[in-house]
Amino acid sequence: MSTTTVDARGLSCPQPVILAMNQMKTQRTGEFCVLVDTDTSKENVSRAAKSKGWEVASIEPEEDGYRLKLKKG
Amino acid sequence: MAWFKRCTAVSAEVQAVDLGFLTFQNTSEVLRAQKVLSRAGWKIRVMGPPPEVRTGCDLVIEFPLMEELRIVKTLADAGVKPENVVPVASPLLKPVDLYTITDFPEHLMVRAANMKITVDRHSLVIVNISGGGCPDVPFLAAAMTGKHLSKAPQPKDIGHTLCAYALQLAYEEMLKRCSP
Repeated sequence: MSTTTVDARGLSCPQPVILAMNQMKTQRTGEFCVLVDTDTSKENVSRAAKSKGWEVASIEPEEDGYRLKLKKG
Repeated sequence: MAWFKRCTAVSAEVQAVDLGFLTFQNTSEVLRAQKVLSRAGWKIRVMGPPPEVRTGCDLVIEFPLMEELRIVKTLADAGVKPENVVPVASPLLKPVDLYTITDFPEHLMVRAANMKITVDRHSLVIVNISGGGCPDVPFLAAAMTGKHLSKAPQPKDIGHTLCAYALQLAYEEMLKRCSP
């Protein structure tokens, strides 16, 4: 099964967080990736994920930002 | 008809000068003035300045112009001196509302000046704090994110900067909007 990727590049806060939260609500467990293009979005998405009991399994720098892998369960 | 037009114009003018605003040298003076005037029971609002009178400080205090002398005296008694008293004599001189409300389907965002707070509409849990650029913003965000609006620590109690002050305004506006 392929991992869902939420593309939040080009969006300003709080939209990356909202997109990630929506995916957490839809998925409830498992893993998915979020693409962001600023340090602030990276921090905000990570913080929101942790507050919802999700683990930030990895943060990989990419050419135009970061790929966050979020995991739960 | 000409009489009607003249009357309308005059009453609009009278309405426009009902309000004035106070400008200050710096933001901490604005905050001191707000405390002094609120404690004294004056009906005032902290607002953004109209572009024409920006002094480098990005907050002003709007007040009822008729009370100018008493308000300035209240401030003087507390050792606070406004830089300028400006009547709102034209729409261009109207202070700008500090708040912007953005409605997302499942979330509500309130922005006050440079700070934003976003909550989940159903659970009233804070999902994001952003904006600013002050050193305590990451701390404020960490302390408030994930908590219920009514149980989160208030920025005024844990922050020390203009961002914390703006966030407090946003927080209070959010509380008002989310109260039953």
